[in-house]
Amino acid sequence: MTELTLPAAFADLAPWLDWALPTADGRQDRRLASTSDTLRRFYDAVLPRLEDILAEVDKHPLGQLPAALRPLYDIALSLAEVAPHIELYDGAVGVPYAFEEGRFIAVHGGEPTWSTPQPMMTPAP
Amino acid sequence: MNAEHRWLEAYPELGSGPISTEPYISPEWYEKEKEKIFSKVWLCVGRANELPRPGDYKVKRIEAANTSVIVMRGKDGQIRAFHNMCAHRGNTVVTENGQETYGRNRAGVITCRFHGWVYAADGALRSVPSQERFYSCFDKGDNGLAPIHLDTWEGFLFVNVAEKPEHSLAEFLGDYAEHFRGFPFEELDYGFTYRTELDCNWKVAHDAFAEAYHVDTIHAGSFPNVFSSGLQNVKLMGPHRTCAVCLTLDAKPTPVAGIANRIAGASLVSQRGKSMLPATINPDHRPDFAFELSVLFPNTLLHVSEGIWFTHQFWPLAHNRTLWEGRYYVKAPTSNAGRWAIEHAMTLQRNAWLEDTATMEDTQRAMQSRAKMQQHLQDDEILIRHGAIIVDQYVNA
Ligand code: FES
Ligand SMILES: [Fe+2]
Repeated sequence: MTELTLPAAFADLAPWLDWALPTADGRQDRRLASTSDTLRRFYDAVLPRLEDILAEVDKHPLGQLPAALRPLYDIALSLAEVAPHIELYDGAVGVPYAFEEGRFIAVHGGEPTWSTPQPMMTPAP
Repeated sequence: MNAEHRWLEAYPELGSGPISTEPYISPEWYEKEKEKIFSKVWLCVGRANELPRPGDYKVKRIEAANTSVIVMRGKDGQIRAFHNMCAHRGNTVVTENGQETYGRNRAGVITCRFHGWVYAADGALRSVPSQERFYSCFDKGDNGLAPIHLDTWEGFLFVNVAEKPEHSLAEFLGDYAEHFRGFPFEELDYGFTYRTELDCNWKVAHDAFAEAYHVDTIHAGSFPNVFSSGLQNVKLMGPHRTCAVCLTLDAKPTPVAGIANRIAGASLVSQRGKSMLPATINPDHRPDFAFELSVLFPNTLLHVSEGIWFTHQFWPLAHNRTLWEGRYYVKAPTSNAGRWAIEHAMTLQRNAWLEDTATMEDTQRAMQSRAKMQQHLQDDEILIRHGAIIVDQYVNA
């Protein structure tokens, strides 16, 4: 695997590159394997940069995100995965009082989100 | 008039007594449901736009009707349905890789893996390797795929496995079709699917989604402070039912949710206008309207809201086992930020569904203890009451 990098303007997020995960399943797994403290530090670090990240990725058409920006985008997607746990669940790494997450299958969960195929369908051969 | 009992007053024929738990736990009752409901009525198996090109197909297992269905678009653009069973020795023609299998054959044919019999998209048996070694009683013309009745409504594909359905799809849907006419399902075609197998009866799953009484408790995490003003506009339409779920939507959004809502408005708890809803839905333009919650009998819940629609389907696998599928649709994003915002809305919805499904297996286990053989429903749980009564009518017809 090649080393993931961020654009210079977002170098402050480098400590969070291991959250640059292209698939929904990957982001969910990392969140579940994380600690409450890490979720909070991740949230606190990325939230202030969220609007800038979204502005940066929107310089490119949907589905044509240059490879160099994908890690940055994936970090923002991880924030979408993590945010409810900080904003609503008091830092819990899992959804409180919920069904076993591992048993829920996301049909789209293994596809890279940036490429934005119609996520409902398994691509036909 | 007693405001607390308004649905009883509107639909006194449903009565107000407790409801038996027997239909949720009895294997014999389930056998009757398979025969008298799932093998008789129209069942929604997908959307036409899941099969955009000729030669696209989808196979959907329907264990409650003892079959799996091939839905395929032919070269003529027509979508047809067949039992997934080969006329040779009965193998599945399309090899399945789970509850739903998607595929495509450019030539518009499907080939049985076992011995290579080839069928056209209209079901005709096209070719049989070493055909000369079969005997004179074998006629290719009689050995196409076994067809299944298929019809469509608003882009939804319905099948009916009965040899001769008692009603056309239009008759079966009745007023339900009118109620949703004009909602832009087609435009909101960007969908996500989650699924799981639940150790509970399909009606336990249905019931857990068919009321808003649980919002304050079960969704205290994901949807806090959306104090429910309950149901509005309950409408019973033959075996189908619908209502509006109203929630107070003026809670200040959390920081990330606020950004996502501003970009996409793809979450149920973001406030949205009423521009795309048909006049039959939220007719009084209530500002606290959140979404229409409807049940398309027997096993599909269809919800619509501004810019969003979603379905739950409950496919019985046994009397105490159910395949649940949740699908959530919005308008396709046009920007990378829009895609991000949809991902956030979807994540929140997934979490709410994780909360919803949390009670179901516990409910089933407890019901199976037979410690209590009745359940008690309040006025706002009228969709559940109606569901129980309709199932009873079908089973005892
Ligand atoms: S069972 Fe299908 S070709 Fe033999
Ligand atoms: Fe719910």
